[in-house]
Amino acid sequence: MEPILSVQNLNKYYGDQVGCKNMNMTLYPGEVVGVVGESGSGKTTFINSISGNLNPDRGKILINKDNEIINFLEISESLKRLLIRTELAFVHQNPRDGLRLDVSAGGNISERLMSIGQRNYGKIRQTIFKWLDKVEIDKSRVDDFPRTFSGGMLQRLQIAKNLVTSPKIIFMDEPTGGLDVSVQAKILDLLRKLVRELNLSVVIVSHDLAVIRLLADKIIVMKNGEAVESGLCDQVLDDPQHSYTQLLVSSVLQV
Amino acid sequence: MNNVLKFKNKKANVVAQDEIYNFAYLDENTKRMIRRALIKALCIPGYQVPFSSREMPMPYGWGTGGVQVTSSCLTTDDVLKVIDQGADDTTNAVSIRNFFKKTANIETTETTGDASIIQTRHRIPENQLNEKQILVYQVPIPEPLAFLEPRYQETKKMHALSEYGIMHVKLYEDITKNGHIETAYAYPVKTNDRYIMDPSPIPKFDNPKMNNNPAIQLFGAGREQRIYAIPPYTEVTSLDFEDYPFDPSKAPHKCSICGSNDSFLDEIITDDDGNRSFICSDTNYCNQRMKDK
Repeated sequence: MEPILSVQNLNKYYGDQVGCKNMNMTLYPGEVVGVVGESGSGKTTFINSISGNLNPDRGKILINKDNEIINFLEISESLKRLLIRTELAFVHQNPRDGLRLDVSAGGNISERLMSIGQRNYGKIRQTIFKWLDKVEIDKSRVDDFPRTFSGGMLQRLQIAKNLVTSPKIIFMDEPTGGLDVSVQAKILDLLRKLVRELNLSVVIVSHDLAVIRLLADKIIVMKNGEAVESGLCDQVLDDPQHSYTQLLVSSVLQV
Repeated sequence: MNNVLKFKNKKANVVAQDEIYNFAYLDENTKRMIRRALIKALCIPGYQVPFSSREMPMPYGWGTGGVQVTSSCLTTDDVLKVIDQGADDTTNAVSIRNFFKKTANIETTETTGDASIIQTRHRIPENQLNEKQILVYQVPIPEPLAFLEPRYQETKKMHALSEYGIMHVKLYEDITKNGHIETAYAYPVKTNDRYIMDPSPIPKFDNPKMNNNPAIQLFGAGREQRIYAIPPYTEVTSLDFEDYPFDPSKAPHKCSICGSNDSFLDEIITDDDGNRSFICSDTNYCNQRMKDK
């Protein structure tokens, strides 16, 4: 099987400061890769660099689109933006960054559909209801504005908005950050279900090892902008080799 | 001004007050700059060309963009008509017409067919225009995406890459809230199957008239410093959904003066009891029909 996304030797600097350095990653279809590390370790820089939000300084990002390998950093701006709104999706930590707050919930979900050319109101409406159902938002809320939604609902709405065009690769930056534990559990449950059901390929960034352990197949541990350890999720977390990973694993609260 | 007068006096001995203006008010360099923008705009239908808008002797929002475009197009042979919401006799129309009478000393008219340049605020004349005519629109906000995406840099990118999904989000919201597309004026159009364009706040009733019109249509936004255009015989389509097609719509009445059934109507409240009547918004069209009778 060919990887759907492969990142080779990626570097991003902010002036003299290292954002992330010598990063490598392969993502296979249907696989979830988790990126963990402390604040400032370069997780967000890394995910922004591979999702088109930031321009990395060096390295290669290869995306497999229908058996055609696309060099993401060398294609034209227009193709890049087309890919971003059809093949890729980005779930922000703060759902307000990924949603239009003065547009109804349904309107938010419909934007990607209409940007790829759907022009039938009835059909668009049906798709919206299908997705509201999938992310467990009550259908009666379809015409309400996102600002009347709770934090957890906003996050679920953002997920629906991103997944509606069936993108192949999903990037998530701390999707459960800032939510209380029970809501967090609900979102994680939902994500796990969607990943299985739709065979999504996901790169997920989190500082929360529990989130990663629950969702991810593979893991990359970052410190000071570099990957210090990577491998199968269970293997790395059960038998951490690098001292930083050991510290990270041992500092998880046991209840 | 005294210097100008003295200088002219030396040369011509007599000079009328009005002759101290350059032809049609703007200086020749400015007109050349605007004409360049106009030509570029005509080459890329619907694309907003930036231009260096000048201070005009009228407030922003009164048609400074339209006046600059008209000024750059005028020749001594032109016959000018100015309308404001279809009417030839409202303040804005009268004062702009007088402005050009004074500064360009050209002939003006109220008859649509006789005019070679028509400057308009928010209407397209009812009578079919011809190939020898130029229609100049006054535009308050040229960017159709402005209300959805406030960042100018971003809207520029969206135009460049034809990322227009968001425009339909607005129509989607309209249908969701009201059961139909509520936008009744400044209804967005696609020009030449490429750029989405704000047709200035004309009623959507006028949108079909822009399509394949033999006249040149020029749009000037003075405050926002943008010019755009539709060349003659260009396809202009109003955005819609397959199951909610574009509907020009019109008040279900006849003009109570001329009896016209197919012109755009203004609603007039006639007394304190709330009685109302409907009359043609295009005064010249209405008057002509009465004369023909």
